[in-house]
Amino acid sequence: MIRRYASYAVLVAGLVPLLLPLYWMAATSLKAKREVFTAVPQWLPAHPAWDNYLLAWTAEPFARFFFNSIVVTTLIVVLQLVLASLAAFALSRFEFRGRRIIFWVIVAALIVPVQITFIANFMTLARFGLLNTYVALIAPYAASAFGTFLLRQAFAAVPRQLEDAARLDGCSGLAFLWHVLLPLSRPTVLAFALVAVVTHWNDYFWPLIVTNNNAVRTLPIGLGMFVGQEVTTDWNLLMAASIFVSAPMLLLFFLMQRYFVQSQLHTGIRG
Amino acid sequence: MKDAARPYLYLFPTLAVLAVFTYFPLARLVELSLRAPGVGASLGPWIGFSGYAKLFANPLFWRVAGQTLLYVFASVPIAMAVALALALLLDQPLRGVGVFRVLYYTPVVMPTVAVAALALWMFNANGGLIDYLLHAIGFAPVPWLVDGGWALPTLILIAVWKNVGYYMIIYLAGLQSLPRAVLDAARLDGARPIVRFFTVTLPLLRPTTFFLAVVALVGSFQVFDFVNLMTQGGPSNATNVLVYFAYQNGFEYFQLGLAAAVSLVMFAMVLLILGAVAWAFNR
Repeated sequence: MIRRYASYAVLVAGLVPLLLPLYWMAATSLKAKREVFTAVPQWLPAHPAWDNYLLAWTAEPFARFFFNSIVVTTLIVVLQLVLASLAAFALSRFEFRGRRIIFWVIVAALIVPVQITFIANFMTLARFGLLNTYVALIAPYAASAFGTFLLRQAFAAVPRQLEDAARLDGCSGLAFLWHVLLPLSRPTVLAFALVAVVTHWNDYFWPLIVTNNNAVRTLPIGLGMFVGQEVTTDWNLLMAASIFVSAPMLLLFFLMQRYFVQSQLHTGIRG
Repeated sequence: MKDAARPYLYLFPTLAVLAVFTYFPLARLVELSLRAPGVGASLGPWIGFSGYAKLFANPLFWRVAGQTLLYVFASVPIAMAVALALALLLDQPLRGVGVFRVLYYTPVVMPTVAVAALALWMFNANGGLIDYLLHAIGFAPVPWLVDGGWALPTLILIAVWKNVGYYMIIYLAGLQSLPRAVLDAARLDGARPIVRFFTVTLPLLRPTTFFLAVVALVGSFQVFDFVNLMTQGGPSNATNVLVYFAYQNGFEYFQLGLAAAVSLVMFAMVLLILGAVAWAFNR
């Protein structure tokens, strides 16, 4: 009994440093300008200034950035799912020369992040005149070593007998991948897709390297520019912008939280 | 289509993307680091390792490398320890435990840019909430981001705040896959919880700890966003880290060869550290 209360006490205490900043972000976003800097913090805005959100939204071409983020994130995740499914299919259900080494070549890519290769990748894209294009934002992420690994684990768990039975029913090759392997691996596919959406929606580094034009900039870059301009002045607008940039992922997370948590159980980390 | 060719066909798109955007760039970085800058897009003559010699003679490089290691080896163990403590608490059959799990995970799904904006406001010297709260309990304001001694620890704190939920979920997954029979047997033996933790739970969690250490180390070396958005490496390089240093050399000073050398030295450091971690865990 005492232990239970102690556990709750620690868990609740731990939430304070976690949630207080988030509360402060929301409260600041709704304050009038004169309420932002006060001698004593104002915990609640006197009159919620909802038009802060409109002001922030129009301070930069955020509608354009939003559109770009949706296009780029969607295409990256779709490409990753397609390419990873095909590669995982080959690695899990076929016997062929070089399988082991190809598997390791793919997995080793996990330790070569774009934060190491960005200078060379920037030069490659510049050479082909692809800077400031969707192609530059998407192409380096079209394949996912992580996704390939996860799906390979999931596909490998599907019993051989099922494959033989499917073949007798005339379902083989890509039809088997589409009608049997992928549906059976749904939790893994969904978990990977969610992680990929969050990763690429939030990505700041790579879009910063290959864009300097509002026509292709994504939301994190737009917010980053806003950070550079608004600091020390309009914190209420900056917090409003931070909230609408984060909101789609927070919403996705709260709606699908079961799968986010599950995603960790499906990553094959149990030893 | 011949059956034997099919797996290669399925693998081709993935391998092509990795070849162009992961493995070719590594070779390209080596070339860049060993050649003199040229005119326009072309490269100059081969200069051997003199680019590296120049880099290693620069005291700023050593400072940046040291600060990166400090950042990595402070933020990773702190976040992992806090995450393990939270995971142990959340592994109990408590009511409402799911709500806590979700709340602790929230910062993980937020964009680093939004977290940076929020942190700039919270830690602000002018009207920041944290200094106010410190003042309320009798402490002097802290020069969080403006003082060379405080800026890096402040970034470490922010990184812990952002990452702890992710590490917690991984530990939770590890805890939930432990053999219940062994844990129950230890409990029946009457060992105190703290003894049980160190003699049973922690050793059983070794594979999880290893996996997490690898993921966290690789991820932490990539630190760039908070530096670029909050401090630009300052004050006077106190928060400059390797990725930011490479970025500065490449895109601000147009020293592509030097930038490539920095990236490769960092890659070598990551490999060395991963090797050491793997050795320590598999002894």
